[in-house]
Amino acid sequence: MFELNKKRMTENDQREASRDEARSEPTPAASRPTTATARPAAKSASAGAAVIGASIQIDGDVRGEEDLLIKGEVNGTIHLPNNTVTVGSEGTIRADVHAHTVLVEGVVEGNLFGSERVCVRSSARVGGNITSPRVSLDDGARFKGSIEMDDEAPASKSAAKPASKSTSPSKANGDSPLPSTNGASDPSAKGEAARP
Amino acid sequence: MTSSEDGAHGPGKAGRPQPLNAPLFRSLMERMQEGGRSVVLDLGPAQPRTISLLSHFRCRLDIADVEDGLPGLQEDTEPDILGEKIEALLPAKREEPTDLVLCWDLLNYLTRPALKALMNCIAERGHPGMLAHALVAYSTTRMPAAPNRYAPTEDFGLLVTPVTAEQREAPRYTPEDLNQCLPRYRRERAMLLRNGMQEFLFRL
Repeated sequence: MFELNKKRMTENDQREASRDEARSEPTPAASRPTTATARPAAKSASAGAAVIGASIQIDGDVRGEEDLLIKGEVNGTIHLPNNTVTVGSEGTIRADVHAHTVLVEGVVEGNLFGSERVCVRSSARVGGNITSPRVSLDDGARFKGSIEMDDEAPASKSAAKPASKSTSPSKANGDSPLPSTNGASDPSAKGEAARP
Repeated sequence: MTSSEDGAHGPGKAGRPQPLNAPLFRSLMERMQEGGRSVVLDLGPAQPRTISLLSHFRCRLDIADVEDGLPGLQEDTEPDILGEKIEALLPAKREEPTDLVLCWDLLNYLTRPALKALMNCIAERGHPGMLAHALVAYSTTRMPAAPNRYAPTEDFGLLVTPVTAEQREAPRYTPEDLNQCLPRYRRERAMLLRNGMQEFLFRL
């Protein structure tokens, strides 16, 4: 898990770095050719991102086409479907976030939708639901809510999807997809012990 | 080694994980592999290993993290008041009901009225046939002052991490106590573990 996360972070950092390099390339009309060389190499996903500073509070919808680092407060919704949204350790949002990648180090009350991934870092406190093909949560992070692990999850209705395998032994005892155990014995009454 | 010194439920040293062989949990995970989509409710705090393991399955994981609300449940005995408090701790009811509840040793830290109210509230969220997996202090007389951290391993065992070295008396709920507190459930299986804990599987 942790190695996998590290690998993903590395890939992400590379992707973000390449984005920054692309942004840093001077345009033909560039009047400040020193910008590219003055910009330090990207060190994290939030490097080069637009920043909502610590003293800024936004109430409403945030939309755009660039990465965003939130150090302040946002109440409403955030739509950056092609970009990375980072909630910094000092950031607080009460908002649903729709983004390519969502990184949380601060406080979130709302639902997180990451088309690529959602990463909840150790300093984060999240209350809400997460929907993404890749979800990682670091040790120490606080999370309360739901994580949808099923790519083929039912959109909204209550009916759970039928088992994908026709051999599924579910429904044997009520409607639960989890099959019944072998009998309803209670080995504890016989003092059955677990293996060492 | 006494049972109270054995990893999972003894005082241990805060932060040092201990493996725990829990055969009923293993069998649950093996059956989840064979089944279809399911909804899992974890009453404990979010653990990276739980998310990692369940990401292999077609499921929705609801993390309730009710531990912070435990002190507020200790005083009340009135079922309605307890029910309201517990509803506030649990995830909102959703259209898709719960199939599996991971209680682990949380039940040891609840009074009988709170235990009954909690499991009633959970039953309202469950499928007929929903399973609840719990670890209850049985032969051990002492337990950590706060619930241990439990996390599954990739081979369907459990890792238990004590969060405190302090201890308190264990309630030692008997199967009969649990029957009275969980009238809507039937005890499907139970196993006594080496560390003095009883592993239970209840079915709604």
